[in-house]
Amino acid sequence: MNRRFSSLVVPALIVTVTLALGAYQGAVAAGGNISGAVMFKGDVPAPKKLKVTKDKKRCDKSPKFDESLVVKDGKLANVVVYIADVKGGKKLEKKGVTLDQNGCVYQPHVLAVDAGADVTILNPDKVLHNIHTYSKINKPMNRAQPKFKKKLKVKFDKPEIMEVRCDVHGWMGGWIFVAGNPYYSVTGEDGAFSLTDLPAGKYQVQIWHEKLGTQTKEVEVKDGETAKLDVEFAG
Amino acid sequence: MAVRGVDPDEEKKSYGTVFFVGSILLVVVGLWSVFDDNITRRVWKVHQAEFTRTDYERAAAALAKEQERLNADPKYAELVKQRAAEVASLESGEKGARLAELRELQQRVEVEYFDADQEVKFVKSELDEAWYEFDHAVQLGQDAGPYRRHIQGLQAQQRALEPALEAARKKRVDVKAEIREIQGGVRKIDDQIYALEGDKRKWQRQMDNATVTVGPEGFPQFTLYKVPSIQQVVLKDFDRNNFDQQVERVDRCQSCHIGINRSGFDDLPQPLTTHPKRTVFLSDAAHPPRVFGCTVCHEGQGEAVNSLAQAHGNVKFWEHPLLEGNDVQANCVTCHLNVAGLEGAQVVARGQQIFEQVGCTGCHLVEGYGDIPKVGPSLRRVQAKLDPAWMVQWIQNPREFRSRTRMPHFYFEEGDAVAAASYLWAASKKEAEEWLKQSPMPEGYRPDDAAVVEKGKELARSVGCLGCHGLSEGEFTTRIAGKDLVPNLKDIAAKVGPRWIYHWLRNPKAYNPDTRMPSLRLSDDEALALTAYLMTLGTKPEPNAEVVARLEEPANIARGETVVRKYGCAGCHDIPGMEKESRIGVELTTFGSKPLEELFFGNDTSIKHTWKDWTFNKIHNPRVYATERVEQLMPHFDLPEEDIKALRVLLHGFVERKVPEAFKADHSERARQILEGRRQIQEYNCVGCHVIDGEGGYVRKYYEENPTLAPPPLNGQGEKVQANWMFGFLQNPENPIRPWLKVRMPTFGFDGPHADVFVNYFAALSEVEIPYVHVDEAKVPAGYLEAGRTLFSDDYFECGSCHVRGDKKPDGPVEDWAPDLNLARQRLNPDWIEKWILDPQKLQPGTKMPSFYPGGPEDILGGDEKKQIEALTDYIMALGLQPATAAKAEGEAAEPGKEGVEEANKQG
Repeated sequence: MNRRFSSLVVPALIVTVTLALGAYQGAVAAGGNISGAVMFKGDVPAPKKLKVTKDKKRCDKSPKFDESLVVKDGKLANVVVYIADVKGGKKLEKKGVTLDQNGCVYQPHVLAVDAGADVTILNPDKVLHNIHTYSKINKPMNRAQPKFKKKLKVKFDKPEIMEVRCDVHGWMGGWIFVAGNPYYSVTGEDGAFSLTDLPAGKYQVQIWHEKLGTQTKEVEVKDGETAKLDVEFAG
Repeated sequence: MAVRGVDPDEEKKSYGTVFFVGSILLVVVGLWSVFDDNITRRVWKVHQAEFTRTDYERAAAALAKEQERLNADPKYAELVKQRAAEVASLESGEKGARLAELRELQQRVEVEYFDADQEVKFVKSELDEAWYEFDHAVQLGQDAGPYRRHIQGLQAQQRALEPALEAARKKRVDVKAEIREIQGGVRKIDDQIYALEGDKRKWQRQMDNATVTVGPEGFPQFTLYKVPSIQQVVLKDFDRNNFDQQVERVDRCQSCHIGINRSGFDDLPQPLTTHPKRTVFLSDAAHPPRVFGCTVCHEGQGEAVNSLAQAHGNVKFWEHPLLEGNDVQANCVTCHLNVAGLEGAQVVARGQQIFEQVGCTGCHLVEGYGDIPKVGPSLRRVQAKLDPAWMVQWIQNPREFRSRTRMPHFYFEEGDAVAAASYLWAASKKEAEEWLKQSPMPEGYRPDDAAVVEKGKELARSVGCLGCHGLSEGEFTTRIAGKDLVPNLKDIAAKVGPRWIYHWLRNPKAYNPDTRMPSLRLSDDEALALTAYLMTLGTKPEPNAEVVARLEEPANIARGETVVRKYGCAGCHDIPGMEKESRIGVELTTFGSKPLEELFFGNDTSIKHTWKDWTFNKIHNPRVYATERVEQLMPHFDLPEEDIKALRVLLHGFVERKVPEAFKADHSERARQILEGRRQIQEYNCVGCHVIDGEGGYVRKYYEENPTLAPPPLNGQGEKVQANWMFGFLQNPENPIRPWLKVRMPTFGFDGPHADVFVNYFAALSEVEIPYVHVDEAKVPAGYLEAGRTLFSDDYFECGSCHVRGDKKPDGPVEDWAPDLNLARQRLNPDWIEKWILDPQKLQPGTKMPSFYPGGPEDILGGDEKKQIEALTDYIMALGLQPATAAKAEGEAAEPGKEGVEEANKQG
């Protein structure tokens, strides 16, 4: 009887411990956050209208604007805020993301993706696109996406910020941020970002914008607190 | 009668002291000689012993560490445990008992088998004897009957014995197999352990190699460090003696440099350290030191081992002292035909480029460099070209006008410069006047029209001039940084007038049939606009009658002829009346081995008396060794120090050495074609526009914003295009592949032999046979053309979205266009097209052409991607057939064309 009991208890114990360990690795028991907004100071030129030069029937459905500097009420969009080097902390989830080319424009303009996660590229345009990455760390990729191929799945294995362009449609350009850890955030129109559940410590926060370059700020994170970080780019 | 005198005093003298001192001296000298011979002159023994000790100690340390690592490896520990358990189980228990039983059995069955075998063997030998007797009887004509019967009896005996032998053999095999099976567990574990112990064995081997074991077997043995020994390489027939007989070269360098080809000893000091570029130079594919030794590259006195100075050849009268650092590259050229692009030979390759391109060969003959064309422009019609005052100034000091010119400074005094100009002016008069007669000042030349000048400027920057010429200070697109190999045109108006420029632009070969300046096929308007623009660069000279008068003075002309001849102007320029002049400089074929005694240092005492210093200073300041009595003529080239050093490395390699074939690098026809092609590419500055063999394309810096508008790179060209297309295109490139580009492939006017050199060069680079491509539509599999057409169409890959097809142009801006596929049939190699479609990035990293595969459609040719690529290739090759056929192949209404296409369409 005794023996039988132990034969049940031991596996149960193992399962419990494994689960507990898994939970420990997945989330930070105690941690802090960084949040804030990215501002733009200076004159904001009116967004340049992009000229659609070919495949007008498919591509010229809606007006397109140059998205290399998107500012609304002094808040800067399309900024990647990230920390390159974090020890411990959350695990990379490798959640799949989508890059849409509907109407011959990249949506989102700046795509953030976990390293090794699937990127699904959509082509609902009924026209040939090609996805040409100008990467230096990942292997450069130039894949055709003919109209019959409505979905294309690709992966990027190493952290990098790279430009992506379509050679068929010269105006199409965007950026892909491949993250090496889960501590990143891309600003929307409100310019806001937040990095959550960081282990306590001092960090070098990188703030990248395709046109305005990269700023680095040191931020100290304490358990259970949210550190405030406001960043300003000048035009 | 002479009396032999006896000196009693002499008899009484004692020589004991002398003998004593003498014998002491003898002993001392004897000891000293032993000491000297075995200790002081055997430095290499000390080095070798030190290396062996280090080698052993490092291996032992690594072994210990490895063992520690293994012990910590749970897998290894588990295996060791398993093995022990397995061995124990074989010694006791059920398995052990069975094994002991089997071993005993094995002994028995071995004996049984031996006995049975022995019996059969006896019968067999008796049989041999019987057969002999039988044959003998037959041959002697005797009655062979009894012998036959004897044989039959023996055969029956053998047959009777054989089952027993077979049974014994089987038993023996069975027992062995069972033993093997029982021991199988241990063996399996041993195999796994063996796999884990790779590194351990490596260190063990290294330790074994550093030691010797002495003592007879069976007695206690001692392990000692290996005794140092001379490490010698003999290169058969490598050298020639003074009678031009082949002799061996002996190379003992590795007696001291024993670790030279061993990795992991980089931290040791000389002479024990690892070669700093071991993987490049000492690999088996390059120069393994066990075959080549060291002196082949490094020189020195290979046989000598007594002292460092002797071994390195740093002793008086040794002609080839040790080469170190970049100087070693001097020896690359003794065995390698092509040093351009050779890893580790960058400096000598640079020296070679300078030597070939700045004009050294105009005055100096060197074997293998005799065919290089004159580097300067022809002066045959120079009177029609230059402003006379400018010419005098130029001759006097060329760098005052163009700081980066190749033309060297001769330090002429004014009188000599005027005289030289006078001679050239007079000598070219006749041909210049003839040319002028045919080349009048162009009508419609409007230098004051700003719009025309602006158009000219736009043309100059777009049509291709920038591929060779700079248009402002510091601009250049040639290979050598220190010198402009093509004139910079920033001051051109000061030198030549609009009439000459116009005709030169329209047809350079009419002025000088041998010029390397190509025609850009400019229209009259274009040439006029360009001329107008170029005339805005620099200040125009005023007509100067005084200078002309001086140039026409007969005394000046006569003096000029002497000056021109003396300074060897005809070495670089084509000068009327001096076609047969020979080179005025000394031959440099064996300059590298010129002994110090033959170098004239003049009265300068500041320069160190070495070959290297002499040569450097001679190039740096060519007149440095001149004395009042000894004149020197060599002009000043103003090369940067780094280039002088590179040139010196090349010159150092100019030695007379007939290396046997076995030691030579590639000297095949292919290698020769590459050399010849490279020189021709250099001459015409093809690399100004195109990337060739991974180098060049210097014009691309002007296209950073839109690289696709630059001239195409030509990597892998030999594999890509058809040889006959290239041959034709080079001679007449009027049919452009990328008609949307503003930059034009110029017409160089290459003749057949010149075009051939390029075709062979590209084929040799791509390591392809010159492919003759014949496309037979009849052999295209059924349905392929139709499938290709579908894939190509706007329903699938939309190739026409970017690719031009004859008159059919893509939508959108020209910078997004791609080459004309109607030309593919004549131009491209179908095998290359397949490779290209499969992975364009592999053939040309960064290309705009995306890869469509993997990812072909499921519904064409059963989704078989290989077939789809073949079909696309067949279709593209058929595109250029005839306009009608191509249109048909595209599925548009058209007349039926070639049978193959039509056929295929029906079947598809």
